[in-house]
Amino acid sequence: MAARMILMVDDDRDFVEAVSSYLESNGYRVVRAHDAAEGLKLAKMERPDLIIMDIMMKERTEGFFAVQELRRAPELEMIPVFVVTSLYTALGDFKVQPDGSWLAHDEFFTKPVRLPLFLEKIRKHIGDGAANQSANAGTRPL
Amino acid sequence: MKILKLPKGNLDFFASVVQQFGEVHAPVEQNGHFVFKRLARWSEARLNYDRTTIPPKKYFLPPRETLFRYRAGDGYKACSEAIDRRLVLFGVHACDIYGLNILDKVFTGRYVDPYYQSRRRNISIIGIDCSPDQHCFCRSMRADFVDHGFDLFFTDIGDYYLTLVGTARGDDMALATTSLFEPVTQEDIDRYKQSSLHKRQAFKLEVEIRDLPEIFEMEYQNEVWDELGERCLSCGSCSMVCPTCYCYDVSDSVELGSRSGSRVRNWDSCLFRTHAVVAGGENFRKNRAARIKHRYYHKQRGFVAEYGRPSCVGCGRCITACPVGINITQVIEQLRGVQNAQNA
Repeated sequence: MAARMILMVDDDRDFVEAVSSYLESNGYRVVRAHDAAEGLKLAKMERPDLIIMDIMMKERTEGFFAVQELRRAPELEMIPVFVVTSLYTALGDFKVQPDGSWLAHDEFFTKPVRLPLFLEKIRKHIGDGAANQSANAGTRPL
Repeated sequence: MKILKLPKGNLDFFASVVQQFGEVHAPVEQNGHFVFKRLARWSEARLNYDRTTIPPKKYFLPPRETLFRYRAGDGYKACSEAIDRRLVLFGVHACDIYGLNILDKVFTGRYVDPYYQSRRRNISIIGIDCSPDQHCFCRSMRADFVDHGFDLFFTDIGDYYLTLVGTARGDDMALATTSLFEPVTQEDIDRYKQSSLHKRQAFKLEVEIRDLPEIFEMEYQNEVWDELGERCLSCGSCSMVCPTCYCYDVSDSVELGSRSGSRVRNWDSCLFRTHAVVAGGENFRKNRAARIKHRYYHKQRGFVAEYGRPSCVGCGRCITACPVGINITQVIEQLRGVQNAQNA
């Protein structure tokens, strides 16, 4: 069985590498992008099973526009989108409702991410990674 | 009317959140010109633009649209795919909103155009104030300020945008972003009045439109029209860029075999040679002078009689688009000059 593919879009390369390694060790295939434009291009080319999207990249609202773009593309609109951002810590009074009402995301995480919970949510949306190597997973928040 | 203020620093967040009301389209720079276009990111928006090449009417009355498709035996099926698309036009100038209010009179008045009406319902308008350049004369046309036709309207008052809430949907937008707005103080109102005064004083171009319909009535045979006919190329650029020109042509595009096809409407212009051709081949406005005169009379005379005001909003697009430099303000001045000379 082919590994489930996750597209991770985040300009923090260290964070991308750390989370990707964790997800890969749990049997997922991770495709990496470091800005919204690259992420959207890869999403259209690769059709991942799930997308992890940062918000504040080159622009502080880049991810908001990227999520809307994903939702507008008929071939991508059903792909679950996890927003992972440090937005709350940067702008405390600006709220994104966790139910995804206006942002149209499926799950919302603030950095640092608790990886076991993150993995659990991923499994809930797209199932196990093909190799199912969850026993190797670390638990330290990233 | 509810009035709030939005710190300029919050504008990108505001734009992000209003995406829930539809795709955000705003002026972006393209080859040295501005066009209304869907934003892929907020930094593409250019809110301090002078004017877009094509006005926002393109969203409500597209340059080409299929009205319905037909097939022998099946009857016809109305095309309504794009008319329910929810958009947010961000950064529309007052004159262009005024232009849409004028189109409303035509398309949602006595004879309702369902395509236009549906788009008007589904497209939100967020207006923004502007500073006039050397081609703007919207103040002369009483279109430098609008009191309706928008959901929200932003006026630059320094570190904030004073925000007028124009509709219930505008109120919903403000409610969805409550944490981004602040209440207005007397100081903000004073700044708004100051900004309004500066704008008023910045106009370089002015035309007098009082009694203009009457002057047009008197000057129907004036030689100005022949002179204009000599210069005009009948290219139709002025009509295409005009926020209130609404002429269209309807034609059938028939598939091979003639059993099915579609009915399409395209923008048309009264400056085109075939515009006044009727069945039998007669053309009521064969020469260019007659056509350009017709355009001026429709805008400044006929529309006043029908709807109580000229259909020109003074955006200046026809001045910038004309390849031979025909300038409506100069034409009006010329007519007034001739009239004054004759009266003297």
